[in-house]
Amino acid sequence: MIQVEGLNKTYRTGFLMKSKKVLTDIRLNVPKGMIYGFIGPNGAGKSTTIKVLTGLLNFDSGKIMVAGFSPRVVKSRAHLGYCPEQPYFYDYLTGRELMSFYGRLAGLKGAELNSRMDWALGLVHANKDWIDRRLRTYSKGMMQRVGLAQSILSKPELLILDEPMSGLDPMGRRDLREAILSLNREGVTIFYSSHLLSDVESISNRVAMIVEGRIVREGTMDEITSSYFVQYRVKVLSSLDIKDLPPGIKASVHPDEWVCEDGQAKDRFLSYCLNAGVSVERIDHQRPSLEDVLTEEIARAES
Amino acid sequence: MQSLSHIGIIALNTFRESIRDKILYNIVFLAIGLAFFSILLGEWSVFDRAHVIKSTTLTIMSLSGLLISIFVGISLVQKEIQRRTVLTLLSKPISRVSFIVGKYIGLLGVVASHLILLSIVYYAILFLTHSSPSFYLLQAIYLVFCEMAIVVAVALLFSSFSTPVLSTLFTLGVYFAGHLSNQLLEQVKFVQRMGEVEGAGSVLMEKVAVIIHAVFPGLYRYNISSYVVHDIALPQMYLFWQTLYALGYIGVFLAIASWWFNRRDFL
Repeated sequence: MIQVEGLNKTYRTGFLMKSKKVLTDIRLNVPKGMIYGFIGPNGAGKSTTIKVLTGLLNFDSGKIMVAGFSPRVVKSRAHLGYCPEQPYFYDYLTGRELMSFYGRLAGLKGAELNSRMDWALGLVHANKDWIDRRLRTYSKGMMQRVGLAQSILSKPELLILDEPMSGLDPMGRRDLREAILSLNREGVTIFYSSHLLSDVESISNRVAMIVEGRIVREGTMDEITSSYFVQYRVKVLSSLDIKDLPPGIKASVHPDEWVCEDGQAKDRFLSYCLNAGVSVERIDHQRPSLEDVLTEEIARAES
Repeated sequence: MQSLSHIGIIALNTFRESIRDKILYNIVFLAIGLAFFSILLGEWSVFDRAHVIKSTTLTIMSLSGLLISIFVGISLVQKEIQRRTVLTLLSKPISRVSFIVGKYIGLLGVVASHLILLSIVYYAILFLTHSSPSFYLLQAIYLVFCEMAIVVAVALLFSSFSTPVLSTLFTLGVYFAGHLSNQLLEQVKFVQRMGEVEGAGSVLMEKVAVIIHAVFPGLYRYNISSYVVHDIALPQMYLFWQTLYALGYIGVFLAIASWWFNRRDFL
């Protein structure tokens, strides 16, 4: 659904048009029907990449195909729904008027427009009485819901969301997460950026991690985290002296708990316990979270 | 066909946005107030009262149209960019050309509504003061509309790539240059005839005047108050040629605005 190869983007700013490279050799492949998370720290290039995909930004070089078309072509947006970060709309309109405006731009009219509006507003739990109020009176959460509703009005094959859950309360996040999953069950491919890594971990099929304008990790959650450090925590029932233990074992902050740096260290520690007649109470396989991986990648980029 | 529909929807939304702008009402009420003030000017003037009312009101129409183009028109595109409403709009299957043309038509609709309202006030004043309203007045108002159609396109062109303050200055510059370019050319020729400037200086002065006259839209063509005041018929096909002239300039300005807007990055 989205194919990006060798994407480069430079911003020119100031009177002297000083250039700053913000995207370097970005490669992405988002297959149809997938929920694809796009994560990275602030200023890493997430929104820039998304704006290139939606045709809002030009790019220096690279090959990009969105729903089979280059984003430079208007047709590429015929099958695309997009909700920007902190969406802003015409605040003199009511939520319903805004939906009608975008619906008509998508070629909908009459009964079809009305039923599509009801469906979209219902999906994001925005079919409440406030939808007939002017947008200038909306809270951030209401605006975010209307933002998502307008992006799905045309029943797009591909939905691109920029930080859809930022600034939402837990209920709002849950509703939006459910809406995303529901759309995906109907066959919509979803590409979204987020700072909320726990949400990304829970709903994404694949994830790309961008740091300083470069993709540093890409794959399923397992692929990303398993290629990273894996620790084992072993709880024993006797006190041990660290000097007697095999290499690769460290003391934990908890009493009688030992940290094995990898699988081999764990095997060595278990055979030591077996030989020494030490009873093992528990072994925890501790896998790193996305946050651990991202923090490590940021530290690596900064060093 | 789809593009036409998009242009219509954007134009309608632009019209709706503009008529909710308080600045517009200030300009409209100021123009109406000044139109009534022209009655007093007619009384105080040594010239014929009807002449003064007619020429003053036509000038008010032109200047108030200019103010609408500047204060409402220039901010229209800038507001879309600054408030980032352009992001959701242009992520729809809408070409940027449709966006510019839609904005243009919406704003032109606002100017047309303003001129219609002023025309009603204008005719009411002429009837009240027994100042013989004639058919030529309508022709003059139509030409003011054509002039404003060019000015709106200029305002939109500058606002597509410049800041509101610079766009205002540029638009004012084009408006006054367009009104004075003919006089400038005539003055230069007069000075040359009189022999006050000679040699290289004379040639340079003439070239500058010719370039200004050729490049800037000749807005002086749309000021026919002297015909209206004296009830003189316009030359044959005058309205047709001036309409064509306006369409040419509008086409060029909108094409440049669209081309520039196409190149823009929306952050």
